[in-house]
Amino acid sequence: MGNSSSSSGRGHHDDTVDYGSLVPQGVYTGPRDWNQPVVSQLIVARRLAPFYRPLEDYDDSWDDDQILAARKELPDPDSADTVTRIEATAMASSSSKSKRPGSLKEPVKPEAQVYRGAVECPICFLYYPPNINHSRCCDQAICTECFVQIKRNEPTATHLVSEYAACPYCVQENFGVVYTPPPWRAGLGSDGANGIWSEQREPAAVPTHKRRQKSFGADSPEVVTTDQIRPDWEAKLEAVRAAVARRANRRIIMRQVGDRLIPVGITSGRVHTLSPEEAAAAGAAVEGSSGRRGRRRGQQNGAFDQYVGMSGQDLEELMLMEAMRLSLLDHEEYQRKEAEEKKKREAAEAAAAAGEGSDRAPAVPAEAECTDHSAPGPGPSTLEARATLHPSSSSNLSTPPSSHSRSPSPAAQRHNKVDSQDSLSPGRKSWSFSRSRTPPPPPNPVPNLPLSEDNQAAWRNRSAGPPAFSTLSAALTSTSTAAAVLGTAERGSSRSVTPEPVPASSTTSSSTSAAPPAAAGAQNTADVPIPTITVVNNDPRNGGRATPGGVAQPASSQSSEDSADSSLSSPPLPPLPTELARWAAPGSSEASGALVTSSGSGEQSGQTGYGQFPSSPESSPELVDLHEHLLAHSDSGSSTKVDDDGRAGAATYVPEMTR
Amino acid sequence: MGSVSARRLAKELREIQSEGCPVGITLVDASDFSKWLFTIEVMGNSQYQGEAYTLQFRFDAQYPISSPAVQFVVTDGKEAPVHPHVYSNGHICASILGSEWSPVLSVIAVCVTLQSMLASCKKKERPADNDRYVRTAPDNPKKTLFHYDDDT
Repeated sequence: MGNSSSSSGRGHHDDTVDYGSLVPQGVYTGPRDWNQPVVSQLIVARRLAPFYRPLEDYDDSWDDDQILAARKELPDPDSADTVTRIEATAMASSSSKSKRPGSLKEPVKPEAQVYRGAVECPICFLYYPPNINHSRCCDQAICTECFVQIKRNEPTATHLVSEYAACPYCVQENFGVVYTPPPWRAGLGSDGANGIWSEQREPAAVPTHKRRQKSFGADSPEVVTTDQIRPDWEAKLEAVRAAVARRANRRIIMRQVGDRLIPVGITSGRVHTLSPEEAAAAGAAVEGSSGRRGRRRGQQNGAFDQYVGMSGQDLEELMLMEAMRLSLLDHEEYQRKEAEEKKKREAAEAAAAAGEGSDRAPAVPAEAECTDHSAPGPGPSTLEARATLHPSSSSNLSTPPSSHSRSPSPAAQRHNKVDSQDSLSPGRKSWSFSRSRTPPPPPNPVPNLPLSEDNQAAWRNRSAGPPAFSTLSAALTSTSTAAAVLGTAERGSSRSVTPEPVPASSTTSSSTSAAPPAAAGAQNTADVPIPTITVVNNDPRNGGRATPGGVAQPASSQSSEDSADSSLSSPPLPPLPTELARWAAPGSSEASGALVTSSGSGEQSGQTGYGQFPSSPESSPELVDLHEHLLAHSDSGSSTKVDDDGRAGAATYVPEMTR
Repeated sequence: MGSVSARRLAKELREIQSEGCPVGITLVDASDFSKWLFTIEVMGNSQYQGEAYTLQFRFDAQYPISSPAVQFVVTDGKEAPVHPHVYSNGHICASILGSEWSPVLSVIAVCVTLQSMLASCKKKERPADNDRYVRTAPDNPKKTLFHYDDDT
């Protein structure tokens, strides 16, 4: 009698515990992200109820066959192997039973008997044998299927803590369960259990859960907590923290053009720890690192999914870069309009552009003006210079810079690609430095591809002392956002090996920079390090020449002039950073946060030689607010805080104008 | 049998149909297990006397482990109640729909909670950041990371 069933049970001795399984029965379809070996062990050790096949329904009056029929049918391909075996067990035993029609007192079927007095799990609403887990705190039933689903919330960049999973019933933290096994044993860990098994004892073996008087502490030996079956929670938390730290060390490189800040790139968080010594070392190691990039750049026209396959960090950078590219396009459009306006006006004035240029920056010699052509002159001069440039000038520009800057010509767009090329010429670092930051090509940059290949070649062959921004420019010109990411990959280090700008820019912008993170800490995003926006002073000479005293006047005159000229309905300070935010936002709120927020990290900027985004102390609350806004509403691009950024941009503009 | 979500919802539905909804709550549509609609009325003396609002539940396959996406319907001439925790796009800032969701809660439990949230309202007003939020809000309120104010 009992023999047949026990023999069939013995055949699968290794798979079951007390007629339940070691693996889930498909109640949940999501990922099994708990530690299954640990769970199996706990089941075998009778510290956690086995995964029983749940009953859809249960009635005490049912006979064994009805119970077995009510068992949830077995799912799913992915657990097919174990499941099939269990099914086989069931079928074998029931078929062997059915061969013996026998008396009315047909032997009980233990696999049905275990369901006597079944309990409904309050979460999945399915019925399980009464030997079910109970919450350690409030003694509520919970099946193992549901228990393994309960876990800590995944830490996120905005919530950098991992809180205990709370009890679903009483919300007490550090959820855990206690399991009282039946007094008999079957299957695994049941040495001689088959002998012990008896039909007489079976009904008595149905445990009735008696309400506990006390709750168990989370560290009681009887308790299995959610953390025990997911021992990796700490590692996950660490991973997120590390990612956030990387992100926080990323800097947005802004460049001033006229009265605005143009984002030209981001540093990779990975290169964040450059100390002065390391920076020096990096100078020596430039070849090595560019070698790595060279390899990656070699693939840059390859399939996009290559980059999708990269780490999330890279993907974020990619999205950032795309946002910047679009923003630059916008800016270029603006500049072009402005240039047209200016051209009209200047034509009317009949005075040569040269005259105006010298008016504007009297102290700056012609070459200097060209070198950072865009700084003293508003947008137009940049564009004009580019317009005159010939595509063939990619080798090296011998054209007198002054002629560029003085021959106004608004038709800049189509010559954009030149920028990246001339930026590659090793001998003209400062040239390329500023040039490369000129806006990228028109929306569909594909036609520029050949040039970008040139760029790559040039880049690979370039000597030490990389022109930092030419990378970006080349990348941007070369169409793919992926390329853009690649371009940025090492900007941080490459920039920091350019020694000249260091003292200059830090002095120029330090006066206007502030450190809002403290204020940010008051917000609910307290734990989130805020990325820094760095303002690049592209030209060492100009930066060095900046004198606080001479600042104010040219700046104000310039900006007012600009606003007057542009005849735009928008305020004089266009919302570039905001544009960025909007673009970046869909993909990553972090990214957008990074773009529009700033934080002071004087140490960092001092080392790399770039001043920070000069958010003045007064403006920091708004910035913080903005930051919070971005984080809080993850899909939002902010359009609300334009003015703050604009103001900040204006502030930076000041030192630039002093030269 | 489908996922736990469908199974549990089937059972919740059966219960609703056999036992009925609490007073003021009416099941409007539960034709599938992805979206249910209820109307909610606040009974008795309240700011919302005589007003009925439509509440929408969206379920994913991980329900009830993951919370349903619950919001007031604001299309077809329907409006969200004016309440300090209800945005004009129908999104609701309530902790039980987010971090304090528990799989033990049910659809009806959520309805009752929101009903009492309305009932306890002292002053009809929108959240302070309503415009800002609504302008940029995701379609699914579950994607919003609300900051819950405890003013209970």
